[in-house]
Amino acid sequence: MSSPQREGFSAPSSLSHAAHGQITSKTLGIKYNCAQCGSSFQLSRSDAIRCKECGHRVLYKARTRRMVQFEAR
Amino acid sequence: MPSKRPHLDSDMASDEAFLDLLKPTYKGKGLTDEIKTAEDKWNLLPAFLKVKGLVKQHLDSFNYFVDVDLKKIIKANEYVLSDVDPEFFLRYTDIRVGYRSRDGRKVLDGSPHECRLRDITYSAPIVVDVEYTRGRKIISHKNLEIGRMPIMLRSNKCMLANANEEQMSVMQECPLDPGGYFIVNGTEKVILVQEQLSKNRIIVEADEKKGLVQASVTSSTHERKSKTYVITKNSKIYLKHNSIAEDIPIVIILKAAGIASDLEILQLVCGNNSQYQDLFAVNFEEAARLEVFTQEQALNYVGRRVKTIRRAGAPKLSQLQEGIEAILTTVIAHITVSDLQFREKALFMTSMTRRVLMTMDNPKMVDDRDYVGNKRLELAGQLMALLFEDLFKNFNSDFKANIDKTLKKRSLTAEYDALLNIQIHSSGLTQGMNRAISTGNWSLKRFKMERAGVTHVLSRLSYISALGMMTRISSQFEKSRKVSGPRALQPSQFGMLCTSDTPEGEACGLVKNLALMTHITTDDEEAPIKRLCFVLGCEDILNIDSATLHEAGNYSIFLNGTLIGTTRYPIEFVHQFRTLRRTGRVSEFISIYSNSHQSSVNIATDGGRICRPLIIVDPETNTSRVKAEHLVKLLNNEWVFDDFLKYGLVEYLDVNEENDSLIALYDKNLEDKSESYTHLEIEPFTVLGAVAGLIPYPHHNQSPRNTYQCAMGKQAIGAIAYNQFKRIDTLLYLMVYPQQPMVKTKTIELIDYDKLPAGQNATVAVMSYSGYDIEDALVLNKASLDRGFGRCQVLKKSTVVLKKYQNHTSDILQGYRKENESGKIIFPHQAIGADGLGEVGLRIENGQIYVNKYVPTNAHETVAATGQMPQQESHREAPSYYRGPEPSYIDQVMCTTSDNDQTVVKVLLRQTRRPELGDKFSSRHGQKGVCGIIVNHQDLPFNDMGVTPDIIMNPHGFPSRMTVGKMIELISGKAGVLNGSLEYGTCFGGSKLEDMSKILVEKGFNYSGKDMLYSGITGECLQAYIFFGPIYYQKLKHMVMDKMHARARGPRAVLTRQPTEGRSRDGGLRLGEMERDCVIAYGASQLLLERLMLSSDAFEVDVCNQCGLMGYHSWCPTCKSSEYVIKMTIPYAAKLLFQELLAMNIAPRLKLGDVFQM
Repeated sequence: MSSPQREGFSAPSSLSHAAHGQITSKTLGIKYNCAQCGSSFQLSRSDAIRCKECGHRVLYKARTRRMVQFEAR
Repeated sequence: MPSKRPHLDSDMASDEAFLDLLKPTYKGKGLTDEIKTAEDKWNLLPAFLKVKGLVKQHLDSFNYFVDVDLKKIIKANEYVLSDVDPEFFLRYTDIRVGYRSRDGRKVLDGSPHECRLRDITYSAPIVVDVEYTRGRKIISHKNLEIGRMPIMLRSNKCMLANANEEQMSVMQECPLDPGGYFIVNGTEKVILVQEQLSKNRIIVEADEKKGLVQASVTSSTHERKSKTYVITKNSKIYLKHNSIAEDIPIVIILKAAGIASDLEILQLVCGNNSQYQDLFAVNFEEAARLEVFTQEQALNYVGRRVKTIRRAGAPKLSQLQEGIEAILTTVIAHITVSDLQFREKALFMTSMTRRVLMTMDNPKMVDDRDYVGNKRLELAGQLMALLFEDLFKNFNSDFKANIDKTLKKRSLTAEYDALLNIQIHSSGLTQGMNRAISTGNWSLKRFKMERAGVTHVLSRLSYISALGMMTRISSQFEKSRKVSGPRALQPSQFGMLCTSDTPEGEACGLVKNLALMTHITTDDEEAPIKRLCFVLGCEDILNIDSATLHEAGNYSIFLNGTLIGTTRYPIEFVHQFRTLRRTGRVSEFISIYSNSHQSSVNIATDGGRICRPLIIVDPETNTSRVKAEHLVKLLNNEWVFDDFLKYGLVEYLDVNEENDSLIALYDKNLEDKSESYTHLEIEPFTVLGAVAGLIPYPHHNQSPRNTYQCAMGKQAIGAIAYNQFKRIDTLLYLMVYPQQPMVKTKTIELIDYDKLPAGQNATVAVMSYSGYDIEDALVLNKASLDRGFGRCQVLKKSTVVLKKYQNHTSDILQGYRKENESGKIIFPHQAIGADGLGEVGLRIENGQIYVNKYVPTNAHETVAATGQMPQQESHREAPSYYRGPEPSYIDQVMCTTSDNDQTVVKVLLRQTRRPELGDKFSSRHGQKGVCGIIVNHQDLPFNDMGVTPDIIMNPHGFPSRMTVGKMIELISGKAGVLNGSLEYGTCFGGSKLEDMSKILVEKGFNYSGKDMLYSGITGECLQAYIFFGPIYYQKLKHMVMDKMHARARGPRAVLTRQPTEGRSRDGGLRLGEMERDCVIAYGASQLLLERLMLSSDAFEVDVCNQCGLMGYHSWCPTCKSSEYVIKMTIPYAAKLLFQELLAMNIAPRLKLGDVFQM
């Protein structure tokens, strides 16, 4: 698979977490889309699952920025 | 409501469904085209389906429950009183479901689609208005919420009601979705229509062999349900009831009910008929023998035999009182008695007795239990009403107990406000209803009703399966009984229940489906009809002389099974009543019919009767009342279906009233003036239901083939709804390129199957090819598959809930982990992102994780137990792995919160599948087959234009199946393709074969649909002409990829050490006892020993030859010695059996002997 740099991944600031293989930084660099208003935003681990614009509670994860290869058959 | 009317109309005008009507041509007809009554009267059908039919009965029933029944229930349980404070009362004055905010929009928790996604219930608040006492004051309070009611989709309380296509799409709903189901905890639940024997009606049955006759009536009221019988025993007549210990001679019970004179009894039961009198005379002797002559004696006699179940503390009654009580409340409970006026009840019993006598005299006078007119269909609304009333009573008694408890405390600091307590119990109502609908268990103590399986999950396999579910009727008969009666096709179900659509196997004939043009009635008021009868010249039963009741020419009038009066002019009476109904003075769903055998006129106003509309034939001119000009008005959108009812052109008939009429099938029948037809069929193809309506030319098929197709049409993969890509269902099959069929039916258009089709028009050559096509196997063209024939998508959902625990710990997600040296993401984590959820769009392979969940290890330690908060949260891996032979793609990842604030993650995985060997296909004629071989394009036969078939079907499929409809479909389809038109295969109509052949000839083809083909392999011309053309083929959900399974070695069950069972557990393939028997019969016992024991299940045990039990380490613990212990090998399963037998106190002892000494 592709390298993690490509997907806009921000490297964790503290090395100790990286050593754990865990990431505890605030936002994970992953965008979520609101099912109602369609706005796109980032969420951190502690955030409630709610749209930051309209407060709707259904969110979809945005499409990956990694490369995807299809076999067209 | 009237103020809302214009708004509604403007809504209707902008409704896209009506736009078709506004176009210059509608269904192939221009506005100026001549309208012929005979051909175009079918246009009534779409008009009917707009107001009634298919799913509308569910909606009508639910609307009736919410708007009318709910208020009746409240009225019946109006007061909450207190035992402690006699001054206290609380009265419910009104009840409503759902409320409107100021802008007029209905406010519910969320849209139906949001409820589906978030796993919550689509419900609206139930609000009541109350009046109650607080201290000395009476306070009224409005809009008090007492719970939440699940709302049926598209009912009038639903936000989708009257929404147009645009509004529906804003709410992410499919405008073609039928509605009529509930969403409870995110799953769509349907309350199936239940079939029952009608209530409060007399049913007479006879056992001719034993000479027994019985008349029974099931009385059902809001309070109780009971059954009363009038039976014969030794040719004497008795009354039987569950709460009376012994059968009571009929004369005694009649005397107890106030008909003391023997003469009057004789007059009421037998009339002047001397045969009846002779048969009945014995019963008087019986009463005289028992020395019962007066009403008091009779009541005492009855009172002695009543089984009394008195509540503790209730006063003890004398025998006389018991007798009165029994007649008053238990016998024939549905007739209410006021002021001890038993006469109505007595007359009901005499009419039951008379029916028994009539049957004793002539055994043919019995009723048929399976006759559709004796059945009632129970819909969602009625079931919900039963449930709600039960829960509401519990709610009130809990509430009352709470009030009593509070009021008992003498010293109240403040005046007691009852409303402070009411909301505590509201969860009982909400959860009670949710639980009943989601589990399907209707257990109501009051009715001793314990029904399971009332609700089903709405099948979303295809649009047709969802629609078919809404018209399904389940019967209450148990499936194991071996009587053919309930399963057989009834002549009376013509036009009411589909004649083809029933499952095969154990539920065959018990599960039915509604026909296309049916409606199920809701309850109507009885009192105004009773008054009307008296106005029309019915003589009140309470006022007439007993002697005249059964005089010749005198007809009894029954209203809902109860005798209300008599008339001497039954024909005139029925005629006038019908005229009033046709002019709209009486509800159109009230039926009236006369029965000359029983000299009775029967009027029915009750709910649950199946009825259907028919065109009225003018009795004078013997012509249809619906004329061309009316149909013009309908096509011009000036009239709707209800106008036809209003002007008396069309009326609803139920099954009983159909018996009173002569219905012409076609217009041409009316020309026969010797028959006096009363009605004309709207369209004959409405004998079939929605699912059977998909079959082209079903009238040319052998009937079981149509039944098979009805089962298979529900398994076809196709488009499900316009919002299919927004849905996150557990399992969803979608076809990539669905096509509407070349040969349609009118039903297909009416139910919008052409907008959400499930199948493709395949070019079929009916010929033998390659030998891989035996036993219904199909040959598929590889080039067609490359171009997308039969290609489908499979979407699978998995839900992960991130729980929060008592001790403030919770499940967490973790991002991907990398390998230490290379920095690459480890293999199982390759499909997830930094948030621990699958990356949308990525490919996921077997063994990879899509949700990387961790659960706390100390989740169940309470804070109190440890005394402090847990310092370090430690977590354990609990990821969700993808398992499957083929990789999937992550289609959607949705995050949300459910009801109790827990995070829910739903991951949707997608696979695109092209047909492969073993996938199942079917045409629309019950002709299923699997793909036997996929052949390269160049090897397939071709015609002079170079056309190759998509499918080659073996001709052996035809002779024994006799699906001539399929052949005609091919010819019509071929003509349609050449002509550029869509042809019709409507039942009892459709494009004529002759016309189709003409088109073929015009286009230079053979009239019979046969073509000259060349072999793709040799290039030679084939020896025979090949039947060649398009047939609509469906891909069924059974696919090899979901079923293929093989295993060499694998997991075993811990207890038995046998291989596990089933594909999902990677189980073994069982070599069962029959297979084992074969090997034994062959004599290969050493093979069995080796395969079944030595190589698989061998286990070494230490057997003690003294006690015969098993020991260990060469030591017998029973004998406390190792002297006689012998090592031997037995199957582990045998060892386990011995030990299990020991555990149940049976000691199997092994006695060992020398093999060579035997």
